[in-house]
Amino acid sequence: MAITLPPDVTAALRKQAPKAMRRGMEKEAKKEFNRIKQEMIKEFLGNPITQEILAGPDAGNISGTLGGVSNLFAFIGFDRGEQPIGPILDLFEKMTIKFEREIKRPKIGNRFRVDLPTAEDIFAITPLPWATGRSWAQGIERGLSGLGYLLRKNKGRSGAAIQSRVKVRAGKFQNSPYISALISKYKKKFEELR
Amino acid sequence: MIEQFQHKLTTSFFMWFDNFLLSKGEAYTNTTGEFFYYDDPRVDSDYNVFGSPYKQWVTDSSINGATVPTGVFVGPRSNPHNGESGRTDGFIFDFENGRVLTPTTVISGSSVTGSFAVKDFNVYFTNDTEDDLIIENKYKINSRLPSADYNYIEPYDDVVPAIFLSVAQAENKGFALGGMMDTVVQAKAVVMAEDPYQLDGALSIFADSVNEMFTSIPFTGYPITELGDLKNNSYSYSGVKEPYESNTSFYVDKVRTSKLSDKVKKSLANELYVGFIDFDLQQHRFRFS
Repeated sequence: MAITLPPDVTAALRKQAPKAMRRGMEKEAKKEFNRIKQEMIKEFLGNPITQEILAGPDAGNISGTLGGVSNLFAFIGFDRGEQPIGPILDLFEKMTIKFEREIKRPKIGNRFRVDLPTAEDIFAITPLPWATGRSWAQGIERGLSGLGYLLRKNKGRSGAAIQSRVKVRAGKFQNSPYISALISKYKKKFEELR
Repeated sequence: MIEQFQHKLTTSFFMWFDNFLLSKGEAYTNTTGEFFYYDDPRVDSDYNVFGSPYKQWVTDSSINGATVPTGVFVGPRSNPHNGESGRTDGFIFDFENGRVLTPTTVISGSSVTGSFAVKDFNVYFTNDTEDDLIIENKYKINSRLPSADYNYIEPYDDVVPAIFLSVAQAENKGFALGGMMDTVVQAKAVVMAEDPYQLDGALSIFADSVNEMFTSIPFTGYPITELGDLKNNSYSYSGVKEPYESNTSFYVDKVRTSKLSDKVKKSLANELYVGFIDFDLQQHRFRFS
């Protein structure tokens, strides 16, 4: 049976309840946010593309993006010792949830804001070593030429890359869903936080 | 096969790109000079070939100030085509190869001179990968800088400075009820310039092309004949696109420009400055339209 509260009580509730609930809600929201954030980072680190790049110039092509020939670190043209995954991980680690405002109608509660980076944010911090206006992370999704590999092959800076006797051609690279798919998946999960 | 969306996009993009570069950047130089006789076994024996030192003359008469040739001067006086001669005298202007095909009555020792606008960048459509374009070092440099030693430029092969266009991939996403699609096509341009000024100029022009729209023009609108001359003897981009302006236009949704970094450029065999332009081109359309 529905109970109809007097208008003055309803008005008082709308005014006071969000403030009263805020601390508890914030604690709960942060807990849930951190759980999803860690899940997201774990999924990113577990992605074969991430793992292959993390493993450096001596890795195998575990992502299968190069048909088993060479590896992404060398193919993209990174220098030995570079850590291209670092900036992405930093950005994910810096994600926060913040109180935005109280909600008084139609429902009573509090709104929180998650500063999830966009795919464009990630592309902006993942420059290709040989053309800094282009993103290697976007290249994974859209296609990468073998230019980085071949240029490094001439100079031999990736170490392992120059040892490959098989010429890696651009056509050998197989695009793969990467950052955009991850962001899109977790955007939905964060939006579902209630 | 009848013309498909991709064919129309390719033609339209190529024509728009060329016009945009020439009009926004005034990326041409008006030149007057001598043409040099040479033998080309691929050309019908009814013609003699006189080549200029530059390939790809400006064809587009909607480019303010650019000289689009309609005639050349032929000497000496005993020659039947003495004076200015053009298409009505049987001459063919091969804009692609930068040369004029004359009737054989213009003998090999004739003096042929003319004026034309040469593009700062030749524009080509290619299926080559970026690796092939940049690493293989297969392009002859047809310098646009003044030189003391002029001669004809060999026909047919692509030369640099040039911009190589290609269409990388396309994706259809549902856009509206009734089956309308949001088609996004990724197009790429590899810019090979002679100096950093030229490269920065081209990248800057196209970085600013975001939010531009360009007309969808069918194959038949392409202005060049098999001999490199103009269909109907003249071409204006603004004139050609006019009848098609009611077609759904293409939209330049995103543009990203970048340069081959100096530290890797050093490993290239040539002295060219290389840049990249990545376009996202968009059109709302129905499939198979």
